Amino acid sequence: MEISFKKEIQQLRLGDGETFHGEGILAITKALLQSGVSYIGGYQGAPVSHLLDVMVQARGLVSELGVHVEACSNEASAAAMLGASIHYPIRGAVTWKSIVGTNVAADALANLSSPGVTGGVLMIIGEDYGEGASVVQERTHAYAMKSTMLLLDPRPELSTMVDMVEHAFAMSEASNMPAMMELRIRACHVRGSFISKHNRAPAVSSLAPLAEPADFDYGRLAHPPATFRHEKLKINERLPAARGYIVKHGLNEQHEGKHDHIGIIIQGGLSNALLRSLQQFGLSDVFAKSDVPLLILNVTYPLVHEQIADFARKKRAVLVIEEGSPDYIEQEIATLLRRRDLQTVLHGKDLLPATGEVTPEVMMRGLLHFFTQHLSDADTRHVQALLEATDTRRTRIAEQLDKALPARPPGFCIGCPERPVFSALKLAQQELGPVHVAADIGCHSFATFEPFSQGHSILGYGMSLASRAGVSPMMARRVISIMGDGGFWHNGLLTGVQSALFNGDDAVLLIFKNGYTSATGTQEIISTPEAETKLLAGDKLASLTASNRTIEDTLAGLGVKWMRTVHSYRVAVMRDVVREALTTDFNGLKVIIAEGECQLERQRRIRPWLVALQARGERVLRVKYGVDDDVCNGDHACMRLSGCPTLTLKDNPDPLKVDPVATVIDGCVGCGLCGENAHAATLCPSFYRAEVIQNPRWYERLIAALRSTVLRVLQPA
Amino acid sequence: MSFVIAPSASSDARPSSSTLSEPLSVLIGALGGEGGGVLTEWLTAIARHAGYAAQSTSIPGVAQRTGATTYFFEVYPVPVVQLGGRQPVFSLNPIPGRLDALVSSELLETARAVSNGLPSPERTLIITSSSRTLTHAERSHLGDGRLDNAALLSIVQSACRANHVLDMQRIARDNGTVVSAVMLGAIAGSGLLPFAKDDHITIVRDSGRGAEASLAGFEAAWQWVHEGRQQAAFAKQLVDDAVAASGPSVLNAFPTGARDLLALGLSRVIDYQDASYGELYLSRMRQVCDAEASVGSGADTDNPDTEQGAITREVARWLALWMAYDDIVRVADLKSRASRSQRVRNEARVADGDVLKTYEYFKPGVPEIAALLPVPLAERLKDMNRQRLAEGRTVWEMPVKLASHTVVGTLLLRLLAAMKHLRRWGSRYAEEQTLIDAWLTAVLEGARQDRALGFEIAQCGRLIKGYGSTNERGRDNLLHVIRHLASPAFGTAAERTEAIRRAREAALADDAGKALDKTLNELGAPPRAIKAQPIRWMPRQRIKTGSAP
Repeated sequence: MEISFKKEIQQLRLGDGETFHGEGILAITKALLQSGVSYIGGYQGAPVSHLLDVMVQARGLVSELGVHVEACSNEASAAAMLGASIHYPIRGAVTWKSIVGTNVAADALANLSSPGVTGGVLMIIGEDYGEGASVVQERTHAYAMKSTMLLLDPRPELSTMVDMVEHAFAMSEASNMPAMMELRIRACHVRGSFISKHNRAPAVSSLAPLAEPADFDYGRLAHPPATFRHEKLKINERLPAARGYIVKHGLNEQHEGKHDHIGIIIQGGLSNALLRSLQQFGLSDVFAKSDVPLLILNVTYPLVHEQIADFARKKRAVLVIEEGSPDYIEQEIATLLRRRDLQTVLHGKDLLPATGEVTPEVMMRGLLHFFTQHLSDADTRHVQALLEATDTRRTRIAEQLDKALPARPPGFCIGCPERPVFSALKLAQQELGPVHVAADIGCHSFATFEPFSQGHSILGYGMSLASRAGVSPMMARRVISIMGDGGFWHNGLLTGVQSALFNGDDAVLLIFKNGYTSATGTQEIISTPEAETKLLAGDKLASLTASNRTIEDTLAGLGVKWMRTVHSYRVAVMRDVVREALTTDFNGLKVIIAEGECQLERQRRIRPWLVALQARGERVLRVKYGVDDDVCNGDHACMRLSGCPTLTLKDNPDPLKVDPVATVIDGCVGCGLCGENAHAATLCPSFYRAEVIQNPRWYERLIAALRSTVLRVLQPA
Repeated sequence: MSFVIAPSASSDARPSSSTLSEPLSVLIGALGGEGGGVLTEWLTAIARHAGYAAQSTSIPGVAQRTGATTYFFEVYPVPVVQLGGRQPVFSLNPIPGRLDALVSSELLETARAVSNGLPSPERTLIITSSSRTLTHAERSHLGDGRLDNAALLSIVQSACRANHVLDMQRIARDNGTVVSAVMLGAIAGSGLLPFAKDDHITIVRDSGRGAEASLAGFEAAWQWVHEGRQQAAFAKQLVDDAVAASGPSVLNAFPTGARDLLALGLSRVIDYQDASYGELYLSRMRQVCDAEASVGSGADTDNPDTEQGAITREVARWLALWMAYDDIVRVADLKSRASRSQRVRNEARVADGDVLKTYEYFKPGVPEIAALLPVPLAERLKDMNRQRLAEGRTVWEMPVKLASHTVVGTLLLRLLAAMKHLRRWGSRYAEEQTLIDAWLTAVLEGARQDRALGFEIAQCGRLIKGYGSTNERGRDNLLHVIRHLASPAFGTAAERTEAIRRAREAALADDAGKALDKTLNELGAPPRAIKAQPIRWMPRQRIKTGSAP
């Protein structure tokens, strides 16, 4: 796993009155333990990976409490896990990245929320929306509405977030509704503190198991005719129960203010930005004492109609601040005001943009309109000036720059084993002509950026092979589907491989077998090299992925006839195998497995090992690639085949030449791609491989000495 | 460009404009994997240790994989004890114009934050690294696609009330630590935040592994910023100091502006072949010089490109590089010199007592060998190659990983290098000389008609570089430009000058030649000749047979 949570795990043990300091997502994790959950599951993905990672690493603590932790194979299995709470009074929590994860989980969620739950159920949803997001821009809110689930969107402040977790379980039990808590990326990574409580060992747990299963109860199956009753329960009993709980425990925060003829209704997750914006207008002090009445919705579904009506009643106008589209909250408020014939003016997406993050700047621009219309005695000059100054600065600099600054998208790590495969793919296509590439989710989707620009479509995690089914029959050339081992196990095996085999499709699947779900933080999967293997490996430098053949065996078992495994750094070999796959007469499914351990994990393994060797004064081999600047032709063809961060440019030391030359900077891990490309693509002969042997053996030193004496004679100055 | 002397640390302290109605906000720009997360963790811990309420956040996501990302930190500069239990509200996003500091480990990322309008000239202190991590767009350009550091820096310096510029990468490297420790030191040194230096040191010391290195980096950056040193070295590096004109007396006949390059060019071709080759270089240069002189001074004198000697200077550069064209002989020579071994030792950081082994990646093919054979033999060899291709086989090439640290390896290289005397009889030599003359004639004719035109054609020498396909592509493009755009038939001198400039720039835009074709098309010039290329047929997918054949 990419990060070690040793320190954080100690914090998870904190007891009553002690102060927890750390990240939002870890505070949530602590809150789960304080709420007495019996089981925790989920599927990794930014920004909630840490929750599961820390749980997996905290097995000791967790087993003391008897809490079961399951690293699920995908979000569907995580959601299905929640079924445990349908019959039994046990609390469970799962986590994943939304919207994509919730999409995968949707089937189980519908069937879970139909019978409803006895024990409290909470889904920690990483709402990956806006800046830094890596998924489709959609709202989880829709799922809460369609499946009648609770949706919490707490104020991004640790103690509120923690309280809301505990309330979520209680509310879930009070209303029999599964609860979701959406956390934006900045809230997950916010660093703050809260006063903790001791962890609660669950009444029912792996330490205190249930003696007997529940009695058979058809009414708890998501099956007709029970489902007709469930529908009535949802509307007539569960929603009212939830609303009752929200009011009883004051989950939504209502603030009075001296300007009581207006008000602002806002999602809890956005409220800090609002308060900082109000400060700019001089309408709030630094301690959140606002002059404008606020209704902060820590629960955004269901809305408590009476609460909102009371807030809006006697007000000239209210502004609803809601992130993303459609504006579900604003629409529901509009309806409830109309039904009650309340004439309060309703503002929202008319003053705020319909898309994108609602940052303080966006808010300030919206508030400016709102106050000019409804708060004449507000002094908006300062904010006006601030915003105008910002606009002028932006335009001035835009003019100063002759063209837009080059983007810096994420890319393959230094020495990533996936980079060479795309070099090979690029070379193969230079020979055979371009082919349609069905891309997938994972680190390999970085190949959609320069210099590779590979990938015509991405249809979801593990969907590449399936997404080709409609394309390849219509193509003169074969189609290549890219899939990581993460995507393969997430669902590519069934939606792609099984279907292609069943239909006898003529397809080419390229699997990256790097041993981990690397993009989400190198979590382990079923095809990850065993711990013992890592421990016992003689040559620690070698990739260990070959030691686990689960993928190969599974494919063989399914009946894959054409399968080639290629070490991913062998660019020329890979190019030839790709050529073969694209041109062979064999018409079935052709699978190429690119073998090469995730470089992040490899380095994590070998760095301490090398340090130890050096400390013991033992022989250490260090490899670095280099470029002879007087030989480099300065046309940078190597860059267009690699994109490695350590292969970059420097000024040409030759005063006659004007173009910068290639150079390999520190940080090169000697993966060998530079040399492989130089050969495979016949690049200029400027690349060399330098092997530095520290603490060499005596005979190595002797040979070196002899050589240097001879070379001194042979070499001109 | 002029450099603002950085204000002393004291003047970096918060300006009175920022009243206590708001926390202090610091935006940190960094690249994934630079430890920005650790930095924010440190800052919050330091704030707590010093007794202030603070909050930080970040948006790692996939940006952690070498992409650009930002971290945000806010602290309320009144000790918690004085707040009477009240909690200040912190933001998760920076408010444009309300930043107190922008700290960034890479110059382009600093400029990016500036172009987003985040810092303000009234309020923001900018602490930026002068170091660049080149983006792919900059690296992949066929010529020089790098951004101008001076321009970036002036944008940055125009957008803040005060700034510190330091090479954070170098300081980190020199102290064997990561850039996050250096950034912390710079922040502390600026005195912006209400923390004592010791608060920082205490927290960093507790951060476990690598703490000592971190502290060293912290201290170095603290010194730098606290003493308000502007990075003179960087400033100097940006000032373009030209090489002083010098050289043997034979060059006195040439315009002074061109002598430095002529001297370099002459020594280059002599080193490449021999003295008589140098004489050939000089005689060619004399023709150019005379032609240029015959035209008299340029039309507009304020344009340096058309000054007397400008064409000579350009040709001096490109002619030398062309005459010293790269072939295996040259490469072998360059790779088997003592100076080169030393360079590799330095680059690979080889310590005394270490053993170094070097392997060269060569892939000689038919063209490389044919280059050294007399024309008739070379043609036979090339025909055999074409035959192979026609039969759908791949061309003959021999990938070798030559161990140049061994005696045998070096002997081989020296043997190849010694073949430079055979070069003259080789087919490539003849070929290159004809092409060179073709180009020179075009330059001469161009110069006689119009100084600017001659200058433009001279600059096309830039298209010639490298080996194999790169070199061929360059030649074809150059010939195409000379044949079609330089000939009077194309248009007036001015039109041709413009056309050639555009074509040259397009030729350097992408190696597929897409941009060039587009430009030629726009110019109404004939397209480039289509190159013969073997076609590989793939079996059209039949109605699936299901099982293997």
